[in-house]
Amino acid sequence: MSKPANVVLLIDDEPKIRRFLRAGFELNGFDVLEAENATEALKIATFSPPDLIVLDLALPDLHGAEVLERIRAWSNIPIIILSVAAGEDDKVRLLQAGADDYVVKPFGMAELLARSEASLRRYFKSTTETPVVVAGPLSVDLVTRTVSLNHSRLHLTRKEYRLLHVLAMHVGLVVTHDQLLKEIWSGNQRDNIQYLRILVRKLRQKIETDPNQPRLLITESGVGYRLQNRFDSVPVADRVS
Amino acid sequence: MIAADNHQGSRALWRAASPVLLSVLGVALFTAPLLAFSRNVATSLVPIAYLIPVMFVATRWGIWPAMVASIAAMAAADFFFFAPLYSFRVDDPQEAVDLLLFLIVSMVSSNLASRLRQETERLRRSEKDMQALYDFSRRLASCFTIADLIAAIQEHFALAFGHPATFFVKRSDSNIEPPESRFVPPMVQAAATAMNSGVGPMSRTILDANRSGLWLLRAISSDDAIHGVIAVNVGIGSQQAIAIRTSRIEAILDETALTLQRLDIGKAMESARLHLQGQLLRDAFHGTLSHELCSPLAAIQGSASVLDSIPAIRSDPRIRALVDAISEETAQLGGYIRNLLSATRVTAGGLSPRLEWTDPRDILNGAARRRGRQLGAHRIEIAFADDLPLLHVDSGLIEEACGQILENAAKYSPSGSTISVDVRPEPERVIIRVSDQGVGITQDEQEKLGRRSFRGARHQASVPGSGLGFWIASIFVHANGGTISVHSEGQGQGTAVMIKLPAAASSPAMVACDE
Repeated sequence: MSKPANVVLLIDDEPKIRRFLRAGFELNGFDVLEAENATEALKIATFSPPDLIVLDLALPDLHGAEVLERIRAWSNIPIIILSVAAGEDDKVRLLQAGADDYVVKPFGMAELLARSEASLRRYFKSTTETPVVVAGPLSVDLVTRTVSLNHSRLHLTRKEYRLLHVLAMHVGLVVTHDQLLKEIWSGNQRDNIQYLRILVRKLRQKIETDPNQPRLLITESGVGYRLQNRFDSVPVADRVS
Repeated sequence: MIAADNHQGSRALWRAASPVLLSVLGVALFTAPLLAFSRNVATSLVPIAYLIPVMFVATRWGIWPAMVASIAAMAAADFFFFAPLYSFRVDDPQEAVDLLLFLIVSMVSSNLASRLRQETERLRRSEKDMQALYDFSRRLASCFTIADLIAAIQEHFALAFGHPATFFVKRSDSNIEPPESRFVPPMVQAAATAMNSGVGPMSRTILDANRSGLWLLRAISSDDAIHGVIAVNVGIGSQQAIAIRTSRIEAILDETALTLQRLDIGKAMESARLHLQGQLLRDAFHGTLSHELCSPLAAIQGSASVLDSIPAIRSDPRIRALVDAISEETAQLGGYIRNLLSATRVTAGGLSPRLEWTDPRDILNGAARRRGRQLGAHRIEIAFADDLPLLHVDSGLIEEACGQILENAAKYSPSGSTISVDVRPEPERVIIRVSDQGVGITQDEQEKLGRRSFRGARHQASVPGSGLGFWIASIFVHANGGTISVHSEGQGQGTAVMIKLPAAASSPAMVACDE
């Protein structure tokens, strides 16, 4: 590996959690910094800014949400939240406060790595040259605004494309209902989640192999949607066919 | 009964006659020493001496015995001390005037003395009443339940009036409990029933039940309910006596009403306190469970997932099997903990669904994906009808409910068998049907299924679980305005669970959402 490793800052008061996170990240080519409380974390984030932050919500000295807000006040660095069985409202609030994504404990390392890579990609996107987002058989060219599935051009309505565009910009990351409604309708339909549900249903009919069991456009119950770009885990219902 | 009446009558007669007899006797007794000293006493002073027994009688027994005593004293003075002796005749007109003057003075003083007596009596009685009422209100202050209150009133009435009050207590089925054996006139009973049911005169009423005299009836009610009616026999007597007694009884009942209000406030505070305790307990339990149980679990599962990603481990089947075992067991433990958390949420009353429009496909796919590990050994076939409307539910709760049902289906059916899920619309609702090819359930088990922690006796040894699954699912479904039912042809015939959920009348206009 010639390119310098990404640096991840792990903020969690549980040494056991930090231990396996360190192992998991190091095995995947990251350099790891650790902080066991908010004060230490803010110091490290300020003086030796990492490329990615993994933040646990339950810290001894300050709530994780507060840490998130303080870092977001001056930095756009990717932040992924670790939480214990958080409610949908909490997740939405954290995402709106600027978190890139979240994973709920207990979680697997693969899931956290996928989120980390997705948020790093979004962060560095402005500097990369390729405007084409690929998710499995789907590719979205954000500049020419063309969408193709298995190399054949797809025809989407304006709102369908807008939806896919927003999701593709955050590929691999969750996008909240609110954010989607704002981006797509902006006007008086902003509160109407029914329209969003129906629009998603229509888009799935065009991009999914089986719209009843979507693999690309994933629902995050009560939070939002995610355009999936990794397919390690095979959905249960797929084993049937 | 007649004998008893006679007995009572003679006692009353004796009570009325005895002061008169005693006053005559008193005059007679006073005469004896006067006779002994008569030679040393001027005759004209004798009547003045007789004022002593008359005053005594007046202060002791009142005006009428004092009158009798005055006349008796005048007669005795005339008979024993005025000439001619031992005769009621009076020859000297001066002596006649003396005697007459004595009679007038004696009668006027008796009147004054007896009035003084009455006044003192009244003061003493009202002081006693005040003391009793004060004691009563102190006793009421220590009442914490309606039953305490009733006992206190009974005791106080027995003490103050010699007979207890009669209670018509309202039962929870809003009929009234008949009073204890004591005799209560039928018309009083009828009036109490009417007051309890809210018909007729509401708060208080006075009835004249001929033989037993007046009855005062008063509803014992607090702000929000009538607890019963209290009936007090005021008795027979002069209008004044009745008025006095009625006002005393009213004073007691006023105290009672105040106490009841306090009890109601107390009850409300108590329930608020219990609610708060429940909430604190739930929060503490949630916090503790989340932290103390989930954190180590997260560390184990995370570590296992890191091990699983190391090529050297993945390539050695023996080590890999161990890692898989760790992952599977922790996942199962995680499931139990999640169930426990859900159960605490339900029992502590903290379940408030966050309703939103949701696609039923998302819910079922999510449920199957989340339970991937538990469903791994089965074929899952999910069939969605084409034109499914959106559901108006809390998607998190319903996804959990469907997950529980799927997990149960997998637990109680053989590996490799098919679990089929069928989702179809009906007017204004959506029906989710989960059927398996498993052990089925018996009629007896079907009846017990909705209870918390029920597990079929047949499977307790062979299938692991807490028995909370179906209970949690049914609570979650009901909280979202849906219903859940179980059908089975019997043992070994498989089980079908039907969940019915409220849905949009029809899909919103497809055009409106796009352009």
